[in-house]
Amino acid sequence: MDNIVLTKLGQSCLQSLLKVWFDFDLAITQVPIIKRLEQGRLSIEDYQSLLLNLRQQVIEGSRWISRCASSFDREYADVRSTVISHATEEHRDYLILENDYVATGGTLTDIQAASKNIGSEALHGFLMYRASQPNPVDLIGAMWIIEGLGNKMASKWSQRINEQFSFENTITAFMDYHGENDENHLQALYRLIDRVATSPERVNDIIRTAKVVAKLYQLQLEEVDNG
Amino acid sequence: MQVYINSTGRYLPGKAVNNEEIESVLGLIHGKKSRLKRKILNSNGILQRHYAINDQQQTTISNSDMAANAGMNCIDESYLAPAKIQMLSCATSQGDMVLPGFGSMVQAALNLSEVELHTSHGICSSSMMALKTAFNNIRCQDSDNALVIASELTSRLFKHSRYEQVTDQAVDFNAEFLRWMLSDGAGALLLENQPRPTGRSLRIDWIKSFSHANVFPVCMSVGQSKDEEQKTWQDYSSYGEAEQAGALLLRQDVRLLDNIVAVGVQGFLKLIAQGHVDPHKIDHVLCHFSSKYFKNKIFEMLEVSGASIAEEKWYTNLYQRGNTGCASIFIMLDEFIKTHELKAGETLFCMVPESGRFNCAYMHLTVVG
Repeated sequence: MDNIVLTKLGQSCLQSLLKVWFDFDLAITQVPIIKRLEQGRLSIEDYQSLLLNLRQQVIEGSRWISRCASSFDREYADVRSTVISHATEEHRDYLILENDYVATGGTLTDIQAASKNIGSEALHGFLMYRASQPNPVDLIGAMWIIEGLGNKMASKWSQRINEQFSFENTITAFMDYHGENDENHLQALYRLIDRVATSPERVNDIIRTAKVVAKLYQLQLEEVDNG
Repeated sequence: MQVYINSTGRYLPGKAVNNEEIESVLGLIHGKKSRLKRKILNSNGILQRHYAINDQQQTTISNSDMAANAGMNCIDESYLAPAKIQMLSCATSQGDMVLPGFGSMVQAALNLSEVELHTSHGICSSSMMALKTAFNNIRCQDSDNALVIASELTSRLFKHSRYEQVTDQAVDFNAEFLRWMLSDGAGALLLENQPRPTGRSLRIDWIKSFSHANVFPVCMSVGQSKDEEQKTWQDYSSYGEAEQAGALLLRQDVRLLDNIVAVGVQGFLKLIAQGHVDPHKIDHVLCHFSSKYFKNKIFEMLEVSGASIAEEKWYTNLYQRGNTGCASIFIMLDEFIKTHELKAGETLFCMVPESGRFNCAYMHLTVVG
């Protein structure tokens, strides 16, 4: 905490990102499947369906982060390094997710064969489009939302799910995994914000992308019940 | 039209009761000391409080009489004759009577003639709703002044005998939680359309609240028993049956409580984004929050983002006067004003996050005079 020095612009960016996060948090609390999850009324089929839907975006997640890294030119070599290490960390997340699915009694071929829901299509499409732009600093906004979700999964959803179901093997390894190294991830994000929030226009871009990603993620969750 | 808080008052019944003495007033449930008491008190930090019941659990003063006493205390320190009061706006979570409205009982106790009357019903934020109604009434020039009173007598719900009526279930954490949290008292504010002739007034710049009842389940309640999803207290064939089912216990769903931090901060960030408040220009913060929440990670993030307010600017008297529900913020304002040498131009930011079903109220005041 002590060694964080956010610039004025960095602070205003973080303040806006916090607001986008809380608005998103409230919005997804109202999504029916999340409501059932958070209020202890989730069926095992619901949870399987949630994993099955999340997997299709998660497996593509590593692609947009890698693409994002390669779109940073020499001026942003340092940012590129951070994004690459982020991509390395997460690019096999989907395997953990698949294990959870199997642990709940699902079959691997089902989750592997499923297609992206409408929200995942939109979210993935947007992220790949932004990641293909030169120096896509606005994607810090996307990372912020996804990091926040990871934290929410680990600190809240996993606990609720484990209160409701008991299986021989863990069924929440994917969600729990996102709680590990939380503090380091947050510090890395703070540093990135400081590095790239260098003008009011930049801040606006970051916030806008955070808002779009939040809305599309919400759509992805809403679509889980429509599968 | 500008609106000013020109006088404040409070009434806390009886002597201060310290943590060791609580059970001698509320009584031992089934003759046994609570196992949760120490844990909950450690976490809420309250050291003493007041109760309007004696050690035989008999009511020593009614809720409306406490409200009237706070109202009189407030009028006594003002320039206004009681006969000139045009509006009375009251709040409580539970009046002495189920009906009529609490305000009617308080008006009668104060013997105020022909006032415009308002009662707001709810939990902690109901005082802010009562205050907002009075503020707007003066703003739109329907009244020149208004007396706003918030009062609570929750200890009646915490008598050991209430818990002993419940059959078929042990008293769970959620039912016991508030027993160690809430206590009795009343606070009052006098609003006028001009500052007081001498001394300090507080101009009300704005009052805003954001409710999230559509998003979250009920978190603090009376009227439904544990694990019951449909039936509420009046649906039982008798009140006795409702009490036996535990439908009349004051409950807090502790697991949902953390949401109040996110909701409170979300509203704060919204007010900043809308330009209503600048965290750097706030001189004093009065917040109806338990300090344990400040250890939350969200507050760390607020600090990093430069939206936090330095610790020395926060004021509370919750630990000495108790958590008196909706009355707390008025009791806090009263003591704050009377113990601080305020300078013209200083600003106060008040925040009342209510966990009932998640309503957060905020107010901005500026010292004038």
